Amino acid sequence: MYGTGLLKGLSVTLRHMIGTFVTDIRKFPRRYFTDGNHPTRSPEPYLHGTFSIQYPEEKVPMWPRFRGPLVHLRDPETGQPRCTACGMCERACPHGCIKVEGEGKGKERKPTRYEYNVGRCIFCRQCVESCPFNAIELSRFYELACYDKDTIWDLPRLLELGDKEVITEQGQFWGET
Amino acid sequence: MENIWTIENLWNAIGTVLRNWLAGFLPAWLVTLIMDLLVIVVLLAIGIVAVLVLSFMERKVAARAGDRYGPNRWGPYGLLQPFADAIKMLIKEDIIPHVADRFSFNLAPVIVTVGAVMTYAVLPFGRDMVAANLNIGILYFAAVGSLSIIGLLTAGWGSRNKYALISAFRAVAQLITYEVPVGLCIICVVMLAGSLSTQDIVLAQQERGWFFLLMPGIFILYFLAASAEMIRCPFDLLEADSEIIAGHFIEYSGMKFALFFLAEYIHLFAGSAMMVTLFFGGWLGPWLPSWLWFLIKTFVVIFVFMWIRNTFPRIRIDQVLKIGWKVMVPAGLVGLAITGFVDKLIADKLIAGVVLFICNIGLIIGVSYLMGRAQRRKEMAAEGAALR
Ligand code: SF4
Ligand code: SF4
Repeated sequence: MYGTGLLKGLSVTLRHMIGTFVTDIRKFPRRYFTDGNHPTRSPEPYLHGTFSIQYPEEKVPMWPRFRGPLVHLRDPETGQPRCTACGMCERACPHGCIKVEGEGKGKERKPTRYEYNVGRCIFCRQCVESCPFNAIELSRFYELACYDKDTIWDLPRLLELGDKEVITEQGQFWGET
Repeated sequence: MENIWTIENLWNAIGTVLRNWLAGFLPAWLVTLIMDLLVIVVLLAIGIVAVLVLSFMERKVAARAGDRYGPNRWGPYGLLQPFADAIKMLIKEDIIPHVADRFSFNLAPVIVTVGAVMTYAVLPFGRDMVAANLNIGILYFAAVGSLSIIGLLTAGWGSRNKYALISAFRAVAQLITYEVPVGLCIICVVMLAGSLSTQDIVLAQQERGWFFLLMPGIFILYFLAASAEMIRCPFDLLEADSEIIAGHFIEYSGMKFALFFLAEYIHLFAGSAMMVTLFFGGWLGPWLPSWLWFLIKTFVVIFVFMWIRNTFPRIRIDQVLKIGWKVMVPAGLVGLAITGFVDKLIADKLIAGVVLFICNIGLIIGVSYLMGRAQRRKEMAAEGAALR
């Protein structure tokens, strides 16, 4: 009969409408959160339920090879930064975001000052590739909006970010490098 | 004296008490004046509250149909969102285009809103709850409801914008086209009810059964025509975003835009309320107080409108006019003839109702068959042209 297609279309939207409420009730107390760290988004078009990601409450983890800002890694035995202030990263960086100063000789050399200007970084990963001591890595952190122009990060902050992002090794998310 | 303080006539009781209290120290004409002004204020308040609720509901329904949450940040479940919207509208800058015709540009929102609010006067919100129980209520509703076309035309002319003017043309073409089937359907209802007053139509449905059950064909016709008249999707050609941006209110901002917005939702509420009055038995219903029944039914109808809006794509202006003149007007005329004959020839109301129902089903099937045949012929002609 002419016009039945309209009814079919109406039933599709109604089913989707009800489906969102059903999923809401199913995960009632945690309406705006998905299970664990990984929001499950159904890839099939016939599944029902809301697809919205409630951003500040639930976050999508970045894919493994996402390039975020630089972090420093710790030596697993001593817990000290692995960096020896050799300056290779400073020379490799095409944008001049990194400034390194250090003191001491050979293995004892330690950075006294390490500045990383996240505002100028283009996340090219040249610094990571060039580091001979596997001391740095790019994180998967992405919330970089800030209220002031203080975009120069120092060594403690980079270490702290590395701890928070649970990055312990260079190339951890990149497979064999 | 019986107790007037029942939930059923809560609002009437408040009115009576207020009137008696005022009559204690004021002359009679002043009491009448104050009470009439109060009724106007209450109607306006209903209009604005309806807009707040409906704009929120529209966004929520649209979101749910699209597997989203909709506004949910401001207040529990986003319930305070309409107030945030209202404040935003009020503090926005009021821009008048340099080349606009200032007089008609400023006049248009007022005409549109006033035309929309005036329709509230004859809506039967409950038993004995109608602001003006005119004996030509339906006629008044149809007449005042089309007043806003003038406002749309004024807006289109005054903004001096091509899109606005196209929208104004469409307003005239579309709304005048659909005024005809709406009128025909209303005449069918009026013939059955035997009165033009909204209250009497509701009471007639108490006697004969809801007209929606008696005349499903006429109801579908009225539903489509009314959605075109209320500028709802899929007939919202006046504000077709993809073609003419926002139509007649493209140049408006701030409070004037808010007035257009207000008028649109007041029209939606009034149109749905009128549909409930004409076909769903108005405030009739068991257990609950009558005004609550009226509100529930109206919101169900509004939900159906929103549901349709979120399902169907918009159709073209030539298709709108074609359906209007080639399908709806003839079908309305046939329905009118059926209703008239059945109502006059069969005296018994029950048998008349059954015959009317069967005839209406026949009308639906007939129209659907004819439209399908026309479509098939067009396809075959197109195939033949492709082969040649
Ligand atoms: S990622 Fe590229 S731009 Fe950023 S600090 Fe490393 S080398 Fe410089
Ligand atoms: S290349 Fe590695 S070890 Fe050398 S200064 Fe840069 S981060 Fe430190």
